[in-house]
Amino acid sequence: MSSSPQNYSAVANSHTNGTIRRTKILLLGTRRSGKTSLFQVLFNGFPLKQAFYLEPTMRVAKHLVDTVIPLEIWDCPGNITVDTLGASLADFSTIVFVIDIRDLYQQPVSKLVEFIVAACQVNPDINFEVFVHKAERLQEDDKLENFRQIHERVMDRLIDESPEFEQFPLNFHLTSIYDHSLREAFSLVLHKLIESLPYLEDLLNVFCANTASPKAFLFDTSSKIHVATDTSPVDQATHNLCCDYLSMLNSFGPLYRSNAINDPRTSRDSPATTPPPTATPLSPASGSVSASAGVPLASPPKPPFFPCAATSLSPSHPGTTLTYHLVTPHLALLALLPTTVYEMRRGLVEWNVVWFREGVREIWEVEKERSAGEVV
Amino acid sequence: MKKKVLLMGASGSGKTSMRSMIFSNNPASLTSRLGATIDVEQNHVRFLGDLILNLWDCGGQDAFMDSYLSTQRSVIFSHVGVMIYVFDVESREMEKDLEYYRDCLEGLSQFSKNANVFLLVHKVDLVREAERNTVVERKVEELEKASGETPVKVFSTSIYDESLYKAWSNIVNTLIPNARNLSKHLRIFAEACNATEVILFERTTFLVIATSSHADSSDAFPSDPVALHALDPKRYERTSELIKAFKQSCSRLREEFRSLEMELAEFTAVLDEMTKNTYVLVVVHDPVIETAAIRMNICMARKKFEELQGDSLVSEK
Ligand SMILES: Nc1nc2c(ncn2[C@@H]2O[C@H](COP(=O)(O)OP(=O)(O)OP(=O)(O)O)[C@@H](O)[C@H]2O)c(=O)[nH]1
Ligand SMILES: Nc1nc2c(ncn2[C@@H]2O[C@H](COP(=O)(O)OP(=O)(O)O)[C@@H](O)[C@H]2O)c(=O)[nH]1
Ligand SMILES: [Mg+2]
Repeated sequence: MSSSPQNYSAVANSHTNGTIRRTKILLLGTRRSGKTSLFQVLFNGFPLKQAFYLEPTMRVAKHLVDTVIPLEIWDCPGNITVDTLGASLADFSTIVFVIDIRDLYQQPVSKLVEFIVAACQVNPDINFEVFVHKAERLQEDDKLENFRQIHERVMDRLIDESPEFEQFPLNFHLTSIYDHSLREAFSLVLHKLIESLPYLEDLLNVFCANTASPKAFLFDTSSKIHVATDTSPVDQATHNLCCDYLSMLNSFGPLYRSNAINDPRTSRDSPATTPPPTATPLSPASGSVSASAGVPLASPPKPPFFPCAATSLSPSHPGTTLTYHLVTPHLALLALLPTTVYEMRRGLVEWNVVWFREGVREIWEVEKERSAGEVV
Repeated sequence: MKKKVLLMGASGSGKTSMRSMIFSNNPASLTSRLGATIDVEQNHVRFLGDLILNLWDCGGQDAFMDSYLSTQRSVIFSHVGVMIYVFDVESREMEKDLEYYRDCLEGLSQFSKNANVFLLVHKVDLVREAERNTVVERKVEELEKASGETPVKVFSTSIYDESLYKAWSNIVNTLIPNARNLSKHLRIFAEACNATEVILFERTTFLVIATSSHADSSDAFPSDPVALHALDPKRYERTSELIKAFKQSCSRLREEFRSLEMELAEFTAVLDEMTKNTYVLVVVHDPVIETAAIRMNICMARKKFEELQGDSLVSEK
């Protein structure tokens, strides 16, 4: 996973909003490029079929989203301009620009260039991400060809504006709401905004090393966006399987939820009701691994309950088990484990999950404090 | 033991699509690539132990229909266990569809008096949600009227949601000779596990074969654990749909789904092999019971259920 830990503009640019400072993301693009569907599918679990019936967006919609860091995402109408936005581009950490992959005309490109030029004047650290969207509509060859053309046109137009833009860091992603490419792209967008990403990655690396896991992700459970992963390369098929696994688990919960008044489970502790164990805030300078050591776990009589699940797959040898462990109310650790490790050394796995959970919890607390802190 | 299943209905109504989803694990998105079925496509699907479903997917173009009803009449309509007749909810030729349907009923009454008849009002996803209920009700009425004296069961279905699994589980249930007996033993097993519910699925289709719940638990058996917990009424077909979708995800990685255990905030459950042909889902709401204990119980029940399946199928021959 590429990460740019030096990019702290996200924090500097957040605004106070009540008591929480939120990192702001601007969603731009021409009419019907797919901005609203994209947002709804990611963060509101929108059924895909309903995307057909979406009304055009008339005014800017500001959505508050709480994942590992608090976000504020602005969904804009297609005709918005720098002047009608009603906010300074300096307020935003990232601009996601959505282009329909079949739309090779000038309009979206001009609009994108207009925003880039304007943004760079007030906010040179801003991240620009281009989603070349509705990619599933084209065959593989056309897809790549259109993607390349759009990329080329944008860069040409930028250099026309000023040769300085030659090195402008502009990231292009192929996306579609009909597969997990959108989630993967948005994960990459998010990673640049999470200041504590290196520490989360460290925790995941340690987990993988200790449990012989070839791949582990920290997922936001409802949006199914991965917040962090260990440093081994992401295989798309594995990422997709993890997303599908999360979807399935999310659907199973309500399906067999007891609607009885006297359900024994309602008395059971859930992570939401468990007070977090007192943890010393982790300063960004200290190593996350050593910092997680020595923190006492929640003490007996009533140990907190954390949902978990495991599914075993074959015929790969020696077999793979895909595990799920909730670590905070909204984040889950998903890991591929050799089935032999999961079955024979369950204690080891669970022990590592506990340490991982403590580590994430500390980072999470720090992030919470940071966003609640005073304006920089 | 072989059971012949006729799949009938106008061309384009969706017969091959549903067959390929239920029995060949194809995703809904690929069904648009299917060509029209020419004449009859026969498939043998080993369903449970000795139970083999002999599926006759009958191409629905007029020329084929006419020949089924005339020259091929006895071949088509003899020894039928179940006839499934599919109606496209948006069909523009309902009059003609109904006419062919009535002719097929006549063929059945001539050659297979005891066949069960299921009618599927299909592609309901095309109807706007707000109007769906009224449209389906009107269709059901129309179809029941057209069926005259013949007892029929009507389901509304779509390949894009769980309704398909509900209809097919019901269809298949009429073909399993020992379904009641299986339910009885599942009930005993559920009690032994302190489970709220135990559900038995066929292994490849993941259709529900039997459950530990009483059919109409709310009235007749007020002590039924499912009634006490008031679980979601769509849970069976949704579970089939969820597992099938996940199996597809696994196969994209060239992996095969084996088992699943969950300790979620809402319940604890294990889904695992029960017999060669079945999977069992044990759902527990008692927070003290752990998945390892459930696994152990499944392990111990395996032999009994292997016997049960073998026994009653053989004895019914
Ligand atoms: N095939 C395909 N269609 C998509 C995808 N994403 C969105 N669409 C369709 O594109 C159309 C327009 O999407 P919207 O989200 O309403 O577009 P918008 O950019 O918000 O448009 P405005 O209302 O003008 O802001 C809808 O019919 C969506 O179903 C995608 O990934 N693939
Ligand atoms: N919208 C919708 N389309 C469906 C559904 N089932 C099948 N179809 C489509 O209907 C078309 C015809 O289906 P097919 O199975 O080939 O029909 P057959 O001629 O009866 O075998 C295909 O393009 C399918 O994708 C459904 O439930 N909803
Ligand atoms: Mg066909």
